[in-house]
Amino acid sequence: MAKTMLERELKRGSTELLILALLEESARHGYEIAQLIDNRSDGAISFHVASLYPTLYRMESKGLIDGRWIEKAGQRRRRYYRLTPAGRKMLASQRTLWQNFFHALNRVARFDNA
Amino acid sequence: MHNRIDWKSRVREAFAGHALPDDDVLDELAEHAQAIYETARTHGFAHDEANERVAQHIESWRSNAPDLRRLPRRRTTAPPPPASSSSITAGLAQDFCYAARLLRRQPRYALLAILTMALGVGATTVLFSVTYGVLMKPLPWPNSDRIVALKETRGGRSPRFGSFSNAVYLAWREEMTYIDDLAAWSQRDVTLSGIGDPERIRVVSATASLFPVLGVRPLLGSVFGPDDETERVLVLSESLWRERFGANPQVIGTSAQLDGQAYTIIGILQDTLAFPDRRPRAWIPTRIRPSTGNSLSMFNAVAVLRPGATISQASAEGTTRGRFVPDTGMTTTAIFGGVGPVEVSARLLRDTMASDVRGPLFVLLAAVGLLFVTSTANIASLQLARATTRKREMAIRRALGAAGTRIGRQLLVENLMLGLIGGFAGLVFTWWLHTMMPSLLPIDFPRIDDLKVNGTIVLFAVAASLAASVICGLLPALYVQRLSLAESLGEDGAAALGPNRRSRIAFARMFVMAGQIAVACVLLVGASLLARSFLALLTLDRGYDPSGVLTARLSFPDSLYTPERRFAVVDDLLRRLSIVPGVTDVSFTSELPLTPGGSTAAMTISAPGADGGRITAQASPRIVSPRYFAAIRMRIIQGRSFVDADVQTSPPVAIVNRTFARRYLNDNALGTIVPMAVGFGNFELPATLIGVVDDAVYVSPTEPTQPEIYYSYLQLRGTLIFPVVNLVIHTADNPTKFVPELRASVRASDNTVVPDAISTMEDRVSSGLARPRLYAVLLGGFAMFAVVIAGVGLFGILSYLVIQRSRELALRTALGACRLDLVTQVLRQGFVVAGMGLIAGLVCSTAVVRSIGTMLYGVTPYDPFTFLLVPLFLLLVAAIACFVPALRASRTDPIRLLKS
Repeated sequence: MAKTMLERELKRGSTELLILALLEESARHGYEIAQLIDNRSDGAISFHVASLYPTLYRMESKGLIDGRWIEKAGQRRRRYYRLTPAGRKMLASQRTLWQNFFHALNRVARFDNA
Repeated sequence: MHNRIDWKSRVREAFAGHALPDDDVLDELAEHAQAIYETARTHGFAHDEANERVAQHIESWRSNAPDLRRLPRRRTTAPPPPASSSSITAGLAQDFCYAARLLRRQPRYALLAILTMALGVGATTVLFSVTYGVLMKPLPWPNSDRIVALKETRGGRSPRFGSFSNAVYLAWREEMTYIDDLAAWSQRDVTLSGIGDPERIRVVSATASLFPVLGVRPLLGSVFGPDDETERVLVLSESLWRERFGANPQVIGTSAQLDGQAYTIIGILQDTLAFPDRRPRAWIPTRIRPSTGNSLSMFNAVAVLRPGATISQASAEGTTRGRFVPDTGMTTTAIFGGVGPVEVSARLLRDTMASDVRGPLFVLLAAVGLLFVTSTANIASLQLARATTRKREMAIRRALGAAGTRIGRQLLVENLMLGLIGGFAGLVFTWWLHTMMPSLLPIDFPRIDDLKVNGTIVLFAVAASLAASVICGLLPALYVQRLSLAESLGEDGAAALGPNRRSRIAFARMFVMAGQIAVACVLLVGASLLARSFLALLTLDRGYDPSGVLTARLSFPDSLYTPERRFAVVDDLLRRLSIVPGVTDVSFTSELPLTPGGSTAAMTISAPGADGGRITAQASPRIVSPRYFAAIRMRIIQGRSFVDADVQTSPPVAIVNRTFARRYLNDNALGTIVPMAVGFGNFELPATLIGVVDDAVYVSPTEPTQPEIYYSYLQLRGTLIFPVVNLVIHTADNPTKFVPELRASVRASDNTVVPDAISTMEDRVSSGLARPRLYAVLLGGFAMFAVVIAGVGLFGILSYLVIQRSRELALRTALGACRLDLVTQVLRQGFVVAGMGLIAGLVCSTAVVRSIGTMLYGVTPYDPFTFLLVPLFLLLVAAIACFVPALRASRTDPIRLLKS
């Protein structure tokens, strides 16, 4: 039980970071974001697709990302999300935060030696 | 097959029974569902399997349906205000925004209102500031609330100079119960030398007790103590120390020359603590000595009350002590004009300092208050006019659900805004006037240094503008409260109404208008009286002619000059000046007209019809040179003037003025024997009166002329025993042109003498009139402002009425009324208002003019000329104000108007 709670909290805290990091590379649509998280973490942090869109919408309302419908040649019309300057700033600060957290965690819990 | 799947419909159907997301979100989810399906199919899954995956996703979305909505990015608009605000502050910001927008849209109206407010607030605040600074602000000395100025009278008679005698001073100082101490002081001008150019400065000679009485400590060094009273020590003012000594602290212990005598500088006194004001530049000690024989010395005196003691206790104690002093006989008569029991009166120093401006200040404050009221009324009247034109706006707002109070508040806020802007502008105006104050106010105006814009003044300005704006806003706000909805909305703005229908608001405006005319009338009456009084002072027969006369003062201090040396220098100087081309008469006098102070003496003379043939006469003695009366154009009305042949070896002669001759000699003075040079040494010679000179205004026109007696300096054994000589030079040209020659001649006669107080006699007369002129100009300015306000107001209200009545007037014209009828109609309306205002104004005027009675000279408060001229003038203004609207009424084109 405790394990699932920890997992949930970690996931919730990291989702925004993951989305921001993915959008840093290029503008992406919702399905692509879900797929990339799933693939790159080898399924370890796949999150329920039900929470993807609410998260995207929340981030959009916070002004971190900006979504718009784009119709590329030979493709369907899709809604692409990209980073806003505010999102870029947030990504940088989140990265530092997590980095510091991992370092601290490592110093205490010694992952490397474990 | 899957290409034919309508993903959006499928997603939408799945949400049936749940909160349906936005269309945009549905599109996105549908697009996602399709991507899952296609990927699954690419990975080789069958349609059903792929479909199953999609179904799982849709199911999970559905469970999160409430979160699937796009939130608004940012708030772009403020939330709408609550329809009816329950709290007072709600919507206030909105009111301010609305008011600002309205004022921006009507810049001319806003500017007019703000300017009126600024002038009203500014003028009132300045007057308040002067009144506060001069009459109410505590004096700068620590003991100021206990410091009293003392005045001694004998049998109710005030002394001719000074205010307290050494006899009473010493008697009281022996035993003091209700006062801690008393101090004596007097002022004189001396020449400061020894550092840089010689300079005439004013010094205060005071007893050592002055500083403890005031409660002040020096900025540097020490002040003089009782042992210093006979020493030559000096306390410098801070400003003199900075100007002449470069603020050098080493100056303590060095010496400076006053009238050629060395004084040791022992301390520096801060400028803010300078006593009695900032004009003296130094303080030197003096000791009050007991009277010898029949002499009395006079000076000014202050005392500090013992804590808890009252002023009347101190006065009673002083009077009791004074009753024990021995009678000084003739000297008392000379100084007090008679003998009688001693009375001592104490009065707070603050009140004495400003006693002669107190009345005028209150009058001006009242006047400016009236002006403020009338200018406020003007804005209120403008507001009422606007309220009428905005009637429909208000009615619509009420119809839409705004409460009457809410609209009322809106109007109040509009006025508050006008008031605050106007008040701020007024404050700037006040500050500007304060910087001008020292040059605007007469030089001898009390406590000029205390006039500063401080917290109290700002508070007053803010309070005044707030009060004015609330009053201005209240009228239209009340009006809105009573606004009838149906009537306002249904009313045709141009409907031909009977005169009674539209009148409520017009009536209020007319009432305000009449009040404004009344105020203008009161102010104009006051201003006219003061102006006439000023003119009377200006054209008054002073008994001499100031035109073409140059005057200067020469000081020959006892420490540097023997009476013989003085005589020689002055004699030589008169000779030198008399040969300057353009100079018609050269003379000097021991006392110049319009110089405060002055000497007085008593003598026994034989008089016709007197009891025992002899009487005691009091007179101001003056030593003059033979050409004095000619130089200043005083008229000899009997006998002859002095001539150069009246010398030491010829029989001593004297001249008296008309008052002397009338009071003591029954207008028959010639040949009477009087003592020689009384008051100027002990000659013990009889002199014969050889002439009578007409009375001259020596001190001020409001004071009765005193008996005067003149002697020629050529008959005083070749001596001059008084240290100050006033040159009086009559010239054929502009007298100021002769200043360089005057200086050169003085230098040639004695290069150590510095002539000072060089000015034309006309300038002296004019500076003596500075206060009456200031009062007349100020009140005149207020009055003209009030007249303009009333005139513009009358014009405004009549124009408005003409526009309102245009249909009615057109109808009348159509029905046969001629133009003259229409003009008369409008004029009558205007004159009714003006007449009501005038009557009210005249009634008020008769009640208030008494308060300026003491400020008047040569005109009675109920001057018929004024009371006739002012109403006529105001009627003329009213006629002009009515004329244009009346003309407009007569040009009404009935056809065009009735068609419109």
